[in-house]
Amino acid sequence: MSYFFQLVVSGIVVGSIYALSALGFVLIYKSSRVLNIAHGQIIAAGAFITYALTVMVGIPIYLAFLMSMVITFFLAMSVERIFLRRLIGEPIISVIMVTIGLMSILDGLIYLTPFGTENFSFPAFLPVTPISLFGVSISWTQMVGVIVTFAMIGGFSWFFKKSTLGISMRAVSDDQLASMSIGISVPRVFGLAWAMAGLSAAAAGGIIGNITGINFDTLHAFGIIVFPVVILGGLDSILGAVVAGIIMGLIQQFASGYLDGSWGLNGTGEVMPYIILLVILLFKPHGLFGIHEIERV
Amino acid sequence: MKMNNKIKWMFLLGAVFMVTLPVHALAGKVYKLGLSLAITGPTSDAGNPYSKGVEDYFNFVNDTKMLGDDKIECMIRDDQYNNDITKRNFEDFVSQGIVFYLNYSTGSTLALKKDFEEEKIPVLPASFHAGNLTDSNYIFLPIASYSAQAIGLAEYIVKTHQGGTPKVALFIHPSAFGRGPVEDLQKAVKAGLKMEIVEVVEHGKDLDNSAMLKRLLSKGVQYVISQTVQSPVATMLKDAASLGLTAKTFGEVGKLTFLGCHYTGGNDLVALAGPAAENFYWTTSYIVTNEPSAGATAQLDLAKKYNRDEKAANSHNYANGMMVAQVATEVIKRAKAKGKEINKANLYEELLAMNGDKAFSPGTTVGPVTFSKTDHAGVDSLQLYVVKDGLFRSTGTPFIPVYTDKIK
Repeated sequence: MSYFFQLVVSGIVVGSIYALSALGFVLIYKSSRVLNIAHGQIIAAGAFITYALTVMVGIPIYLAFLMSMVITFFLAMSVERIFLRRLIGEPIISVIMVTIGLMSILDGLIYLTPFGTENFSFPAFLPVTPISLFGVSISWTQMVGVIVTFAMIGGFSWFFKKSTLGISMRAVSDDQLASMSIGISVPRVFGLAWAMAGLSAAAAGGIIGNITGINFDTLHAFGIIVFPVVILGGLDSILGAVVAGIIMGLIQQFASGYLDGSWGLNGTGEVMPYIILLVILLFKPHGLFGIHEIERV
Repeated sequence: MKMNNKIKWMFLLGAVFMVTLPVHALAGKVYKLGLSLAITGPTSDAGNPYSKGVEDYFNFVNDTKMLGDDKIECMIRDDQYNNDITKRNFEDFVSQGIVFYLNYSTGSTLALKKDFEEEKIPVLPASFHAGNLTDSNYIFLPIASYSAQAIGLAEYIVKTHQGGTPKVALFIHPSAFGRGPVEDLQKAVKAGLKMEIVEVVEHGKDLDNSAMLKRLLSKGVQYVISQTVQSPVATMLKDAASLGLTAKTFGEVGKLTFLGCHYTGGNDLVALAGPAAENFYWTTSYIVTNEPSAGATAQLDLAKKYNRDEKAANSHNYANGMMVAQVATEVIKRAKAKGKEINKANLYEELLAMNGDKAFSPGTTVGPVTFSKTDHAGVDSLQLYVVKDGLFRSTGTPFIPVYTDKIK
């Protein structure tokens, strides 16, 4: 039985990190209907900045983690200002193509630094002995990852529901023209959405980097790995990202734990999330929490 | 007046010709080589120091006039681990008249096998996949194949294990590179290597390996042999450590002992896994720089001469790149010494003759490089290393796996 609960715990841990990584996509899509293909590169940049501040500058890692979130906040905001602001009102496909270009540019810039081709790991700052209860273990790194994830998701949920700015962002997402007509600055909302996505990406990068080590290939791959989570959750729903993330994490762990190694199966943890995704989308094409827009003609 | 001008011009041209003639006669020949590899993109953590090793060694050859007035010009190009780019690079190198080719990945080596046959060009890849040699005359592996490495690790397990038949799992990269040694290891077991392969795990981009590790343990697995790159191994080692599943001594009962082939280990693994890398067993044919040897000194001196940072200087992939450049230089030297023209055919011949008293000891490896018509794997010896206090240290002396020959 402890094996089952270990899989549940691992699934929730992995799922919540997926949710945090997916949050950046959701935040941008929620306000601007754009899928940012370069999100994985921003996740990686967040991890690199945290590492640089800690190891090269000597700032304590907790502080470096927060500072990297602030830096990535402004970095993502600048990216939006420089590359995407002029595309407001243009077809969505043009904006997505720009994010693909952005991905290549960020790749190139990161390869100019040692982070592109070298491996690093954060200095140990948490207890090494895992937390164990009834035969179920969770490392401190994972535990902190889960806490940070839920804190951030809670914060963003509150922001979108209660704050004026958050409500403005939701309004822009619903109808840009109507939002402008009541005095909401659409460009400002887009900038803020990118900035918040950058902030969440930095947090995700720091957590993933702590778990896997700092390797550019591994980190930027998370921009793609979390795609099924984003689609399953419904693209513009924070709650959807959380639920879908945890579903995906659990499916992965259960598939790996119960199917792999039996009946000649292998790597089911990689495939099962996509199978479940396809099945769910058959019944709920807009994802679990996605908005089904009805247009009256 | 017209006549005078003509004479003046003729005299001037003659003078120019006379002055430049000896320069042309003395300026030796340039031998062109090509290297296409992942300097950026996937696996560039290995490709980057590898390219530096190649570049520095050829610069050293030219700067120290190792080939007299002749020079080596090695064109190094990034292919971002993309076979199409590798093919394009190779074709361009061929059109520029290369006499020797250095390749990188398993995928591109397998994909370009026919091209190498058509061009009849000797090739040294960074991939040690035994399948590279099937139906190929021109590919030479610098060191023992991944199959030989995995078999070597398995033989060590069988020799050292206490109790019944050791149960082993293979943790592999989901590609031809990862799957390379699986079949040969299964053949070795069939040929009498007393161990049981319980499971072959093809990993993904896993954030948590708890399920896999506990499943293996529940099946009685005690040893995990990895054939992949460092990052997934590091995540697995961290998970095993956090679950308290890592064996503190080799083969500790109820725990897992982790072992790996060439590309799983080295300083990068320690950089990624930190203390969780302790007691990881690794095999390769290359030396490590934290253990004093003439090869280690040569490697560090070379890196210092060309201003490489400490990370690159101490990388086993820098040694890897340096070594293939050493082999390429050596065959050119030998062909030159015999007065042969430096071309693809003669360098191929020199590679095939590199055995017996003509074996080549580059110093960067734990044994000599030997090639022949029937042996296209360079260094047959392997060294087992284990991580102690954050450094890979030799355990035992270099060995040659026995079952590699038995399964042929």
